[in-house]
Amino acid sequence: MPDTPATIPSTAPVLPARAPGDTRALRLGVAGPVGTGKSSVIATLCRELAGEMELGVVTNDIYTDEDARFLRSAGVLDPERIRAVETGACPHTAIRDDVTANLLAVEDLEQDFAPLDVVLVESGGDNLTATFSPALVDAQIFVLDVAGGGDVARKGGPGIARADLLLVNKTDLAPHVGVDVGRMVADASAARGGRPVLALSRHDRASVDALGAWLRGLLLEHRAGRHVAQDPGPMAPHFHAGEEGGHVHAHDGGAGHHHDDDHAPGHAPAVTSPA
Amino acid sequence: MRPAVSQDVLLALLADARLPTGAHTQSAGLEPALRAGLHPDDVPAYLAARLRTVVRVESATAVVARHAVLRGLGASGVDTPAATAALRVVEGEWAARTPSAALRRSSEQLGRGYLRLARRLWAGHPALAALEAVPRGPVGHAAGGAGRTAPAGPAGAGRAGPPGSSGRGRRGPARPLVLGVTAACAGLDPIGVARLVALDDVQTVASAFLKLAPVDPLVTTGWVLAAAPAVDALARDVAHLTVAADLPAAGAPLTEEWAEAHVHATERLFSA
Repeated sequence: MPDTPATIPSTAPVLPARAPGDTRALRLGVAGPVGTGKSSVIATLCRELAGEMELGVVTNDIYTDEDARFLRSAGVLDPERIRAVETGACPHTAIRDDVTANLLAVEDLEQDFAPLDVVLVESGGDNLTATFSPALVDAQIFVLDVAGGGDVARKGGPGIARADLLLVNKTDLAPHVGVDVGRMVADASAARGGRPVLALSRHDRASVDALGAWLRGLLLEHRAGRHVAQDPGPMAPHFHAGEEGGHVHAHDGGAGHHHDDDHAPGHAPAVTSPA
Repeated sequence: MRPAVSQDVLLALLADARLPTGAHTQSAGLEPALRAGLHPDDVPAYLAARLRTVVRVESATAVVARHAVLRGLGASGVDTPAATAALRVVEGEWAARTPSAALRRSSEQLGRGYLRLARRLWAGHPALAALEAVPRGPVGHAAGGAGRTAPAGPAGAGRAGPPGSSGRGRRGPARPLVLGVTAACAGLDPIGVARLVALDDVQTVASAFLKLAPVDPLVTTGWVLAAAPAVDALARDVAHLTVAADLPAAGAPLTEEWAEAHVHATERLFSA
């Protein structure tokens, strides 16, 4: 995560000029469990920012191109700017281990609508451990929602702990599901070491404005060359049963323990897909 | 000059399921076949049928493409226009033997993934320049056949986007063309690239089956091993080919029909 800009732009920022011929967009991933509102967040971003930024969207679907069709029907962006990647039931693989199909789709958009400012890449709904490879995106948002339970943020995981922005979505539902939003945000903030957390509801104007301002600030940092893509990390710390009573892996730094060898072969569809 | 790599290691590298080419999005036609009523017990027969038909065409095309690009580049190794012309002929012959537009599109999608890999691993190789200079028609048209006049570059690129681009992606060279050229870049022998295409198809079906009709993966691995003699026999049959007109032309109407139906299927797991 870059340092938060001193002033969060509430309107379109004045961006540094691009080098001639530079058509590479800021690539922003949106990940999170199924049903937390990733498509809705992307629709909100398009609705808020399409007037001031050139946007493109790549969706990753478990089935066909449902999310792309949802976004096209939302009427928030030229349908030609919304492309679907079919992930072969491997949403995790497609954003992390083998990003080929997604990179091709992103590059196609960047070429077809050059110059784009931002390409939003929506992951297929997966579980708490799915995060984007920095080979695919420059920054990523991880989306939780209050309906998934107030304790999810506290449970942690790479996206919750280290995505560039954590959204706690659907805050308008909190009274109906018995979740204390303030508590959930506090738990998330504690897990994130100061990285930003935003409680969002598309019915809460101030929160939508804050989301738009965050992306404006990120784009400014990116264009100024100050933003460096971070890998949130492969997995949450977890327990391995075994001799000597088992041991806990933190996966910080990634040294000494190659996870794929243990229980998640990168691409062999036989055993991986958490979907 | 990079150090020589053995044929065995090259083949193992390129046949590895972890190769980043986007192949995990594919079922080699298995998903539409099962939807159309293929019984899971008949998948080994399905594998054999593919090896006799569509895979035979793909495998032979890769062999001939490899030969065409090397021959075209000539003794100097840099005659790119001649190599491009030769590849264009091969692609036309491949397209003529792949009558299903859906199958051609799938092959091109895969080809783009492999091309991305080759561009990085063998950057600057004249064989790749020759391949990328083969003209591409707009999406939905037959692949750049011999003698066909096709506009160069992506059609209609601009603010409005290319027509039809939101659906199935843009044009690229067919997978066997890219694999043949990759073999030329990497120094993989004709029989090696023939085996690569055939084995990859078998492995793709086996992997996809586990998503579609889960069984113990040792069962599907057993299918792959059982198909290995047919893979080897196919490779031996086509490895000597050098002339595009001699490519086998085995029709597979059911495979083609299933592939066409799959384009319009809802709730599919695999793109093809």
